[in-house]
Amino acid sequence: MAISAEAPAIPGILPGKVGVWWFLASEIMLFGGLIASFIVFRLGSGGWHGEAAHLSVPIAAVNTLVLLTSSLTMVQAFATAERGDQRGPRTYLALTILLGLAFLGIKAYEYTSEILAGFTPGTGIFWSFYYAMTGLHALHVLAGAVVNSILLGAGRLRNPHRLELAGLYWHFVDVVWIFLFPLLYLA
Amino acid sequence: MASHGVRPNYVAIWGWLVALMIAGLAASFLPGARGLAVVLIFATAVAKALLVALNYMHLKFEPRLIYAIAIVPVLFLLVLTVALFPDFVFSR
Repeated sequence: MAISAEAPAIPGILPGKVGVWWFLASEIMLFGGLIASFIVFRLGSGGWHGEAAHLSVPIAAVNTLVLLTSSLTMVQAFATAERGDQRGPRTYLALTILLGLAFLGIKAYEYTSEILAGFTPGTGIFWSFYYAMTGLHALHVLAGAVVNSILLGAGRLRNPHRLELAGLYWHFVDVVWIFLFPLLYLA
Repeated sequence: MASHGVRPNYVAIWGWLVALMIAGLAASFLPGARGLAVVLIFATAVAKALLVALNYMHLKFEPRLIYAIAIVPVLFLLVLTVALFPDFVFSR
C-alpha cells in the first residue's frame, strides 16, 4: 500500500510537526539548563549588576527589535503561502534571512567591543555565562538562517507546511532571546 | 495545525511585542525598589513569549499532544531551578 508523505500519522497533526516540537522540547532543556544555572548562580552570588553594566542595552534593544521583526516576516511567509501568493513567501523568507544576518552582525559588533574592552569568557563567571548563552543562541540563529536559505533555494515555497515547520524553529529562537535579553541586560 | 480557525492579526501581534519590549526597557529604569522592576521586566518577557508561542507558533490551534510536548520540559526546568536553590541560594 502506498503511503503518502503528507498524510498525518497522528490524526489532527500534520506530519513532521510532532518531530519539530519534540526537537524544540530538547532545545528548551538545553537553553533552560543554562538559564537555570545562570539564575541560581546569580541569586547565590548576590547579583552581577557591576558586570552587566558593561553591556550595551541600546544595542541589545535594537537586536531584540530585529529578531521580533524577523518573526513577523517569517510568519508572513507562511501566511502568504497559505493564501496561494506566489511572490510573498519568497520576499518574506528573504527578509527573514536578512534580519537574522543583521542580528548576527550586530552581535558580532557587540562581541568585538566587549573583547576590546577586556571582557572575555575568562574574565569572570558572568562573562562565561554571557558568552556561552548568547554564543549558543547566535549559533541557533545562524542554523535557522541556513535552513531558511535552503528552503528559499529549493523554491518549494508554495507548500505552507514546510514554512510553518521552519517557522516553529525560528520563533523558538526568538523566544529564547526574549528571555536572554532581560536576564543578561536588564534585570 | 489541527484546525486553522481564524488566523491572528500577525502585524497587530508584532505591535504588542514591540510595546511590551519598550515597557520592559522602561521598567528597567524605574527608580526605587529593584524588586518591582525585576517583576515587571520578567512579566513583559513572559507575555512576549506567550504571544509568540500562541500566535506565531500557532500553539493556540494545536491539540493537547503538542501542548504537552511544549509544557513538560518547561515544568522540568522549573523543578530543576527550584531544586538547586537550597545548595546555591539559601546557603549564602
